[in-house]
Amino acid sequence: MRIAYYSPMPPERSGIADYSALLLPELEQRLDVHVVRRGRTRPVRGCDLSVYHIGNNPDAHGWIVDALRRRPGVVVLHDFVLHHLVAGLTIGRRDGHGYLDAMEREGGVVGRLLGHGVLDKRIPPLWESRPDEFHLAGGVLDLAGGLIVHSRYVEEKARSTGFAGPIWQVPHPAWPVPALVPARLEASPLVGCFGNVNSSKRIPQLLEAFARLRRGRPNSRLLLVGATSPGFDLERRLQRLGLSAEGILREEYVPEERLWSLMAACDICVNLRAPTMGETSGSVVRQLSLGKPLVVSDVGWFSELPEGVALRVPVDEREVDTLHAALELLAGDERARRTMGAAAAELARREHDLDRVAELYAAALEQAAGGEAVVNEVFGEVATAASEVGIGPGSPEATELARRLAEVELGR
Amino acid sequence: MCAPQVPFVRGGAEIFAEKLVDELRAREHDTELVTVPFKWYPGTRVLSQAFLWRLLDLEESDGRPIDLAVATKFPSYCVRHPNKRVWVLHQFRQAYELDRTDLGQFDESPQDRALRRSVQRLDQIALGEAKRLFATSRNVALRIERSTGLAAEVMPHPPQELPYRCDEYGDFVLSVGRLDRAKRNDLLLEAAALDPTLRVVVTGEGPDRERLERIARERGLDGRAEFTGRIGEAELASLYARCLAVYYAPIDEDFGMVPYEAFLSEKPVLTTTDAGGPLEVVTNLSTGLVTAPDPAELAQAAGYLRSHPDEARAYGRAGRDLAAEVTWDRCIERLLA
Repeated sequence: MRIAYYSPMPPERSGIADYSALLLPELEQRLDVHVVRRGRTRPVRGCDLSVYHIGNNPDAHGWIVDALRRRPGVVVLHDFVLHHLVAGLTIGRRDGHGYLDAMEREGGVVGRLLGHGVLDKRIPPLWESRPDEFHLAGGVLDLAGGLIVHSRYVEEKARSTGFAGPIWQVPHPAWPVPALVPARLEASPLVGCFGNVNSSKRIPQLLEAFARLRRGRPNSRLLLVGATSPGFDLERRLQRLGLSAEGILREEYVPEERLWSLMAACDICVNLRAPTMGETSGSVVRQLSLGKPLVVSDVGWFSELPEGVALRVPVDEREVDTLHAALELLAGDERARRTMGAAAAELARREHDLDRVAELYAAALEQAAGGEAVVNEVFGEVATAASEVGIGPGSPEATELARRLAEVELGR
Repeated sequence: MCAPQVPFVRGGAEIFAEKLVDELRAREHDTELVTVPFKWYPGTRVLSQAFLWRLLDLEESDGRPIDLAVATKFPSYCVRHPNKRVWVLHQFRQAYELDRTDLGQFDESPQDRALRRSVQRLDQIALGEAKRLFATSRNVALRIERSTGLAAEVMPHPPQELPYRCDEYGDFVLSVGRLDRAKRNDLLLEAAALDPTLRVVVTGEGPDRERLERIARERGLDGRAEFTGRIGEAELASLYARCLAVYYAPIDEDFGMVPYEAFLSEKPVLTTTDAGGPLEVVTNLSTGLVTAPDPAELAQAAGYLRSHPDEARAYGRAGRDLAAEVTWDRCIERLLA
């Protein structure tokens, strides 16, 4: 079976490009995969199915949505909130009406009026200020014959918009842990946070909670790895909290090898997020593989991490208190850190195993390509047999048959 | 007791189902064998025939509640019952490890690929409903876990009852079972072709018989390879009692009762490193000999047993002790617990 595969690919710097680079070799052992070159939107001839990786970044995924419009297929929904993507595909292409239509479709007249506010620059861009209130995923979902998602959260979100097609939950695959030497960073404990440094990663809350932790544990240090987002004044915040260079270790973009080495050095890894776009986190998956105890925000996919693996911090008015308590608990209990770390590694092995994920992908894509024909044939055979013995459409017996077929996912 | 029935075909699974009914009845459990014919081809017939089990109402019969439904192999475990227990002999192997092999059933078309996945999904749903899930071997349990994510308890079952005994360690290697390609009797015949002193007796019937007889003819095994066809219990017990060793080396077999039958006759088992389930009880130089799936190595192993009868006896007796542990009393106690 031949699959046309649309995704950002390395050397493009994107988490989804890394994801595909990891997955593809395994998938190619199971399916005949044709990776479509970036920018090609014309359907590929001779393929049984097209699969489109879609995230919220218009630069990385705009062309993929264009291709999806020309031939529907299975969408791998890496983010549920696609507001930024849609803004790029509309406003970014001087199609203000397209943006207004997308806003109206989701938010009615109020949505359209807000859209006008954005176009007229009367209100800040909604993809920055209120993206979670207007996900704008409907246009993509309309074109999807089926969805592959990484979490229950996104499945529920898609269903809540009325998406009725098949949805397959396939976990994010785990990278094999490379041979590495943990970075030598003196701290007790070393708390790590990886990814862009900005407000939606709850860095202000983390800094405040860490400052409290450090007051009682002067040997603790916070490692921040990732680029600082424009407009986020990290230095000023550090100064205000009295966090000197001694307490904070800072690295901007680091290559993959250094990333693993830094993660391996951490005693605790913190991954906060609010609002969530419905994304998973490649960093978290790496940290699970390394067997690190985690502290995460209690939102979206992060909420689905088992309790024994991650301490979950609700995003509420007590967020900093709870976060501080979580850090304090882990900092003071090495045994708890070890137990959680072992559970994390086991979760990575069990759920995120690359071979397993590729098998789930292959199953989903094979069902997407031929499943309807199978169901139609079985359904037809059962219906014929039923009608031959006088069971007509709409009868209680036919309803019973339909229910039994649905139980084993052979219903129509 | 639910078991599928392939008309005019009788093998270990059928014997097992009937025996389990007998054993349950012997312990005063009111037990009935429920069978539905099963045909797995062409196309989606495998699913529509499996679906028949879904329509059975086994919650009560003639006003009397049925407390428990036990199912054995695909597709009988698709049956619905609030207290369903499944003792898996095997899944529909064409959808799993036999896929994309000579023994597979599904081609590369999108519909066939999806059909295979639908069978797997059906397994996941049907086995997931079971109140307790047993697998007849570790090999089967591993396959279930890999394919459905479900954990099955390993519970081997006792072999058929025969007047097992050991009369001698004779001059022939015995092969028992249905003659199909997966049982790999050709490997044994090729071994005999390499060792002119090796004699083999192949029992059973099946679609591979003609090919096997042709191989025997072409390799000039006249008189050294005997095909008995289907034989009665007394004759089978007699062959077990007189043979040197028992050959049993299917490809990645689920479990198979043959090694236990051999052990109860105090005979060592010759098997191969890729045989799957049998390797759970056949240990090299302990209860038999395990070789690569290679005729030369197999011939050498058979020659070793012939020239070392004390070892052959010791392996067979070690196997007997192992087989004695697997009893119906223990199995039924676990099944009903």
